[in-house]
Amino acid sequence: MITKITENLAKIWFLPKAFLAVLAIFGAMLFFDTPFYTPYNLIDLLNSNSIYLILAMGQTIVLVAGGVDLAIGGTMTVSGIIAILLINSGVPIPVAVAVSILFGAVIGVINAYISVYQKSEPFIVTLGMGVLLTGVAQQLTDAHPISCTNPNFVNLSNYKLFGQVPVLIIVMIVVVLVMYWILRSTSFGRNSYAIGGDYEVAKYSGIPVRRLKSLTYVISGMTAALGGVMLSSWVNSGNSIYGSITALYVVSALVVGGTSVAGGIGGAIKSVIGIMVLGLLTNAFNMLNLDSSVPYLTQGLQGLIIVFIIWLDSYGRKRKRETV
Amino acid sequence: MDKKMTKQSVTNLIKNNLIVVGITILIIVASIIEPKFLTVGNFENIIRQFGVLIFVALGMTFIIMGGFIDLSVSGIISLVVVVTVTLVDPIGQVAAIIVGITIGLACGLLNSFLILTSGALTLAESLFITYGLGLVYAALALMYTKGVTQFLTYAKTPITIFKTVGTGSVGPISVAFIIFLACLLILYIIESRTHIGRSIVLMGENIVASRLTGIPITRTVVFIYAISGVMTAIGAIVLISRVNLASPVIGGAIGGGYETQAILAVVVGGTALLGGRGSVLWTVIGTLVLILMNNSLNLMGVSTYIQYMLRGAILILAIWLDSQRQFSEGN
Repeated sequence: MITKITENLAKIWFLPKAFLAVLAIFGAMLFFDTPFYTPYNLIDLLNSNSIYLILAMGQTIVLVAGGVDLAIGGTMTVSGIIAILLINSGVPIPVAVAVSILFGAVIGVINAYISVYQKSEPFIVTLGMGVLLTGVAQQLTDAHPISCTNPNFVNLSNYKLFGQVPVLIIVMIVVVLVMYWILRSTSFGRNSYAIGGDYEVAKYSGIPVRRLKSLTYVISGMTAALGGVMLSSWVNSGNSIYGSITALYVVSALVVGGTSVAGGIGGAIKSVIGIMVLGLLTNAFNMLNLDSSVPYLTQGLQGLIIVFIIWLDSYGRKRKRETV
Repeated sequence: MDKKMTKQSVTNLIKNNLIVVGITILIIVASIIEPKFLTVGNFENIIRQFGVLIFVALGMTFIIMGGFIDLSVSGIISLVVVVTVTLVDPIGQVAAIIVGITIGLACGLLNSFLILTSGALTLAESLFITYGLGLVYAALALMYTKGVTQFLTYAKTPITIFKTVGTGSVGPISVAFIIFLACLLILYIIESRTHIGRSIVLMGENIVASRLTGIPITRTVVFIYAISGVMTAIGAIVLISRVNLASPVIGGAIGGGYETQAILAVVVGGTALLGGRGSVLWTVIGTLVLILMNNSLNLMGVSTYIQYMLRGAILILAIWLDSQRQFSEGN
């Protein structure tokens, strides 16, 4: 009996730490008298993390295949701006959205060419691409925020379906489900795990490693562009500073969720949990009004939690290496 | 040495330093188009710009040579700057500077402690740990000042040291430049003449093999992060001296502030990103080349946005060429 209980407790401990953190936050918020458990707040929680979740889905498959894409912040910013500029100059909304997403795909192709075909370190190549795209965004907007003159553009994200749920959340759920399906049930998804797990073994097993790994970057570029368009529509503005911290935030959140930066480990649900941990923390701290007693405490705690969970993740790998 | 040999080595030199050669051409073009480029005033300006970035880049060189990376430097700069400036009145300028440098050292030690205890051995793992810590340092700076900018000029006690570092000069050479030369000399001696200097390069070459051959990995990792922390703190103090104020966000966004520029300077200089090859002297060249590039583009009237784009493009190009070189060496 007692061994059974300890076994079950041990099982809980071996659940992803981020999932435990989500449960802990939901549990802890029961004890405080805040508007946390209201439908309005819970929908707002999802809504404000939807952009990150859309970006995270593309990033997940890149990380699974053993790469990394730190250009998503820049891609998001520029494609949002492109969409607004095109619509303002009279292009129909669907065409503008399509062009923006195509732009994201092109950035993905360039990232893939340099980091996969030319075997360059993806961290710094995509970081450089992010800097470059920030420059492009500044050039396009003259470093001023711009907004869309067509009133229908706002509806792309904000139109409420079923009374309460904005389109943005629906789009996010669709993207998550598609990525879940790709990673679980397609040969492309399964091969991505093989490539990230061991590139050479995957290559000699006859998997077209370079082509598939490149495809992951293209997908990431496209989800980043989609996120950018939805963001522009959500806040009806495009600004060159939007993406400045996005990429590292998203990748850290995914690592917090249990996706490994070493490749081969990860999944859509893990990524959702990772993003939601950081999002929930911000939301819960806001509800508790922590920042009014100690300013900027939220940012500090967020950093600490990223460090702590990534430390645990690395430590787990170290233990595994040593036992082998 | 016959003529053919010389020709070959010149080709190799150009091939191995394509970016430096390209930017040199740009600088020559700039000095032809814009006569202001080759004036004493402009060179003084360039030596002043050398300031903060070169200190951060020198510290970053050892880290990159060792095969790691440090994204927390922006956070360290912000933290050191605000603490030093607020302490000038209560404890005096000398003690404030010592506390500032100690904070840089402590941040570096904390970075290395978490990296070592977690067993992070790759660039990727160190990147995310130092990113998270950078967020913490930046938040500490904000929490400490409640987001308010502190002004050094309002200090009631003397601030002679800051004034000397900021504007003073010995003959034609500014004091900040002398501090830089001293740091460079110390780091160069460490790199080329000491046991730990060799350990850094070997660790960057192959961390597992160097551990097996008895190189003290723990000590080396602690050392490189401590050096980076201290150099960043020195850079932060030079920065205060120049701008006379301390904003808690002066270091810029984590992952987009001084660290990208420092990595760029190190890699453009020719230090291999994945470790095993590099020198602080190359970093000086890399930084100088970047600053000259910015300066010549400014003088030619190119917009800052385009300079931003160029910075990203050069970073990509530098890594690309670096990987090509490693690829051809491997064959």
